[in-house]
Amino acid sequence: MKRLLYLFVILSFIAAGCSQKKGNNYIRASYKTDIHIVSGNDIHGAIENMPMLAAAVDSLRAIDKSLLVLSAGDNRTGNPLNDLYTIPAFPMVALMNYIGFDASTFGNHEFDSEQPLLSKLINLSNFPYICANVFPDTELGIQNIPYKFFDVKGVKVCILGVIQLGIQGIPDSNPDHLKGIRFEGVEETINKYLYLRDQCDVFILLSHIGYEDDCAMAEKFPQFDLIVGGHTHTQIEGGELHNGVLITQNVNKLQRVTHTILTVENGKVTGKRAENIEISSSKNKNPFVAQIVEKFSDNPELKRVLAVATAPFSTYEELGLLMCDALKEMTHSEIGFTNMGGVRYDTHPKGDFTVDDVLRLDPFGNGVVIMELTPKEIEDMLIACFYADRNRFPYTSGIKCDVEYTANAKNEPEKVVKLTLTTDDGKPLDPNKKYKVAGNAYAVTVSDSPREDEGREFGSISSDLLIKFLTEKKQINYSGRRCLTEHIVK
Amino acid sequence: MIVKVNNEEVRIFKGASVKHALLRYILRIKADVSNIEKLQVKDCKGHQIDQDAPLKEGDSITVKL
Repeated sequence: MKRLLYLFVILSFIAAGCSQKKGNNYIRASYKTDIHIVSGNDIHGAIENMPMLAAAVDSLRAIDKSLLVLSAGDNRTGNPLNDLYTIPAFPMVALMNYIGFDASTFGNHEFDSEQPLLSKLINLSNFPYICANVFPDTELGIQNIPYKFFDVKGVKVCILGVIQLGIQGIPDSNPDHLKGIRFEGVEETINKYLYLRDQCDVFILLSHIGYEDDCAMAEKFPQFDLIVGGHTHTQIEGGELHNGVLITQNVNKLQRVTHTILTVENGKVTGKRAENIEISSSKNKNPFVAQIVEKFSDNPELKRVLAVATAPFSTYEELGLLMCDALKEMTHSEIGFTNMGGVRYDTHPKGDFTVDDVLRLDPFGNGVVIMELTPKEIEDMLIACFYADRNRFPYTSGIKCDVEYTANAKNEPEKVVKLTLTTDDGKPLDPNKKYKVAGNAYAVTVSDSPREDEGREFGSISSDLLIKFLTEKKQINYSGRRCLTEHIVK
Repeated sequence: MIVKVNNEEVRIFKGASVKHALLRYILRIKADVSNIEKLQVKDCKGHQIDQDAPLKEGDSITVKL
């Protein structure tokens, strides 16, 4: 009898001491412990900072080997060494695998990968993508889960993931990459999963919806203990309590991460604190991760031949025209334009045109903007670009520009006095028509002129479009091609 | 879309980042753009944000020039 009583006491102790689910009767952890979490957001391909992150994680794991390592999305986009790897964005996934990330949510930039590549990246990830408001068609092979339970030292932690949706109800990315994927509103999604609160000791929202919306969700859903946020690159000092919910987020590219400590007592979070850890400026590196990064930095993909130039390029204009053709054709626009300062070299020999050649020609990682403009608005925009780009007229594709200037004392263009736009076959533009115009985001931004349509981000960077354009063309010849005729008038 | 920089309205393309709004604002007030990437930007609540941060309609940012 004594033995039986002893066994009962032991079993009761185990049952009470470990969190577990028994049907609907979930038994909460009954002891006090600290849960340590390291969270980053908007890493944007900053593989160069992963050795420092690894060192920080190593140090924290020495304190608590049950450390949870989380990413609030946008792991890719922003570094050609990562984004243009043989398998695009694989270096970041490989490094996250090595460091031992426990989960990531999707950021809008995860969808910058074409769908087969995103599916491949997910398959190569040793961690799940937790995102409850994304529903890809099964045949796309994009695998995400809405939530996941983690057993951390006997404490049951539930992480629910969500991604931001723009005004069109989809994340801010290339719409072509979102075909076949259904998205649901964030609030509606969270409501659907609130029952999870009763099945865990710690309830975390891993969010890529931005600071403002994180605050709004904290106000509406105090059921969360913690919101690990991303998307708006907001630097929160430590963490902020909103309606009792702790919110964390950092600026991008692993400048900092957050170390959050949740104290759990009798199945409830009784203490919350968070601190920022400097990553990009840290001197501590994990040497093995540094070696992997070095390996990825010697990227064979950069030497890949995209097309063959059958004649050399010998002017900025020829190379600018190539860039504009890529903008126009790859966005299905009628006109492409780029500022002259955006063309970074003026000669290229006959022969191979490689990925590295593209990245040297267009190194800025500029986005692409699409606008619908009248001929008058196009004229005004090109003239505004001239003045903003130190009196250098932009290059165009789909139209030719004949421009007259007055000159300064050095006989350099000073003021545009006349601009005539014609189609490639020499006809005037139709004044009653709106033309679809694509420009790099820098050129569009500095060209501050009156126009009804300020445009919208296309969802690709200009160098990516040039890489795709060259890959499609296979052979190119821009020798002697012109888009711009300039005259100085007395 | 319209965002505010230092309380002045800036019309900019949809999907623009902080750096685009900042660039247009600085060019408009004819200030020096050469060190633009070093400028510290804050959101409407006073949090530091980086220049790659996305903006949406109605957002308001401040920068000390």
